[in-house]
Amino acid sequence: MKLNIQTLRRRTAAFLLTFAAAASVLTLPVSAEEPYDVYNYDSLEKAVPSQAGYLAERAVSGKDLGTVPLNSPQDLFRDRDGSFLLADSGNNRILMIDSDFTKVTHICDRFTMPDGSETALKNPRGVYRSPDTGLLYIADSDNERALICTPEGEVVREIKKPDSPAYDAQLTFLPQKILCDSAGNVYIVLSNTTKGAAMFSAEGEFIGYYGANAVAPTAEVIANRFWNLIASEREKRYRTRNTPTAFDNFDIDAEKGFIYTSTSSGSNETDTVKKVNPEGYNLFDYMSDYRWGDLFSTWYSGTSYKTKIIDVDIGDDGSINCLDQTTGRVFQYDKEADLLFILGSSGDQLGTFSPGSVTALETAGAGCEHIYVLDAGKGTVTVFGQTVFGETVHRATTLYNGGYYEEALEPWLEVLKRDGNYRRAYIGIASAYFNMGRYRDSMTYAKKADSSRRYNRAFERYRAEWLRAHLDGLLLGAALLLAALIGFRIFRRRHRKKGGAAA
Amino acid sequence: MMDLTQPQWVRHVILHPFEGFEDLRWKKGGTLKYTVIIIAALFFSLIAWDRWCGFQFRPLPDALFSVVPYIMRSVVYFLAWVIGNWAVCTLLDGEGTMKNICIYSSYALIPYIVSTFINVVLSHILVQAEAVFFAAVYYTGLIWSAVLLFSAIKAVHQYTFTKTAAAILLTLFAMLVILFLAVLFLSLFQKVFVFFYTLYTEILYRVRV
Repeated sequence: MKLNIQTLRRRTAAFLLTFAAAASVLTLPVSAEEPYDVYNYDSLEKAVPSQAGYLAERAVSGKDLGTVPLNSPQDLFRDRDGSFLLADSGNNRILMIDSDFTKVTHICDRFTMPDGSETALKNPRGVYRSPDTGLLYIADSDNERALICTPEGEVVREIKKPDSPAYDAQLTFLPQKILCDSAGNVYIVLSNTTKGAAMFSAEGEFIGYYGANAVAPTAEVIANRFWNLIASEREKRYRTRNTPTAFDNFDIDAEKGFIYTSTSSGSNETDTVKKVNPEGYNLFDYMSDYRWGDLFSTWYSGTSYKTKIIDVDIGDDGSINCLDQTTGRVFQYDKEADLLFILGSSGDQLGTFSPGSVTALETAGAGCEHIYVLDAGKGTVTVFGQTVFGETVHRATTLYNGGYYEEALEPWLEVLKRDGNYRRAYIGIASAYFNMGRYRDSMTYAKKADSSRRYNRAFERYRAEWLRAHLDGLLLGAALLLAALIGFRIFRRRHRKKGGAAA
Repeated sequence: MMDLTQPQWVRHVILHPFEGFEDLRWKKGGTLKYTVIIIAALFFSLIAWDRWCGFQFRPLPDALFSVVPYIMRSVVYFLAWVIGNWAVCTLLDGEGTMKNICIYSSYALIPYIVSTFINVVLSHILVQAEAVFFAAVYYTGLIWSAVLLFSAIKAVHQYTFTKTAAAILLTLFAMLVILFLAVLFLSLFQKVFVFFYTLYTEILYRVRV
């Protein structure tokens, strides 16, 4: 007996060992593990583990590109033809990089003014290239000007501090970011005004400000407004004024003409990311429920870490990508501002960034296949590539947002196979089944998505179908019940009469 | 005349809001056993509404369920009502004993409990657009129970109409005070417990070292 137990034990141990060895061999080469925990938010706004939509592929330094190391680069821009422009601010130059992000094709650091004189950049912090004219727009910060020039370095126009009465004469002109719309109007984010981006006509004339943030109506703001109502002119001068926080970065959806702004200020709650139409109104204001970045700030050894959206980029598929400077995370939303993926973190490994030093991000590809994050501290650009999971989610989302619910069913089911926590898949499947008339299935998935609105919609149709199918049975049942009731009454009355007669 | 069994008393009281409790008092009907059953039913009706409701109306995600608020909303509120009413009405020449207040008040709650259970069943048949039917059932039950409760207090203490109204308002105030004190006591006892527990661990630590 004893011997038996021993052999059994030995066998079990051997079995376990082989199993463990087999398992380790199996898991080793399959996935490139990210150096951080990938998460997403569920319907109760709780962070839950999730599959990675993007994996870091490589980090590209200045040396990899065939030039000197980058010195605190501040902006990255992807041209329509797929090539990149990088504002290498500390080295006072603009780099043009090929579409594979492997080598520098051209360095812009010497410029010829229209009058023939030579000029150089000083800490250029923003760069943009017009898809229509091919001209470069450079925010030449420390020279207090913006340059519009050809890629060869011939300056077409120089925008300096406007002497228009609409521009405060005491205000210096410190361009941070720059872009232009299809009409050739130039928008410049200035670091020292809260009125919005300075807007110039194609001829370089100052038109006014564009897309300022609103003051969030907190209790303090409302109280201040009340006291200002009853304060005298002299008192008013010494009272605190409520000014909105200034946005410090933007991107343009060149095809549709919307400008997206991002605000990194920590005291800002409402206008973190705005979608501004040509009239200057924030279109996200009309949507009910959306939030940007991490939903909760963390508190760790005396410091509060709160999301600080430093850059926003609109992908070719309309996705909104936000870069959080505090944690080095990229938050990717679809065009309806629903969260898709969270990638990146702070740290020293590939796919993570030095704390507080990420400055810009760009996306590439029709389905947002690549994300580029610029880390000013390390002087590198990290290239993220889409996983199969990420590709499936993007395909499903694009179909879903386009109204092709039934076509989106197959990719959503595929998404669920890979990540059962992905709530949007349940919503997508519920919508697909609803459109296909499979109301019972739609109810099941709406319930799993925790969406009582969608459940209600499917239930209403299901109930109507059920009633139609069982109407004859229901009527028959009701008639029988009524007959039985009447019969019972008559029976009881007769019985009582008889009993009464007997007594 | 009026020799009713206990279940018949319940029916009589509910269906005769104005003289039912007077009859109950006159014939010394009603039993505490039923009070316990009714308060348990109230507790389960509240839970049923949050847990068994059709999904299109479910207000509470599964993950956030906790039993404490339901105990609070049934047993604790009822006890506070009974104690508060007894305390107030003893001072205001009320004739009701604690036992009778318990019995009469609990009988008055039955329409509200029934309406909640009806709503739970209805929630599996109705869609969100038809929620007005809920309101109809709910307010019928609520107003019915309120009338019964008023009549119960009036009968148990043999008050006039105005005196009953005043007594009920004072009872509500007394309930607030009782609940406030209860919270205060709870937190105090927690502190005392923590204090003694710290002493215990401290002593334990010193004994060992």
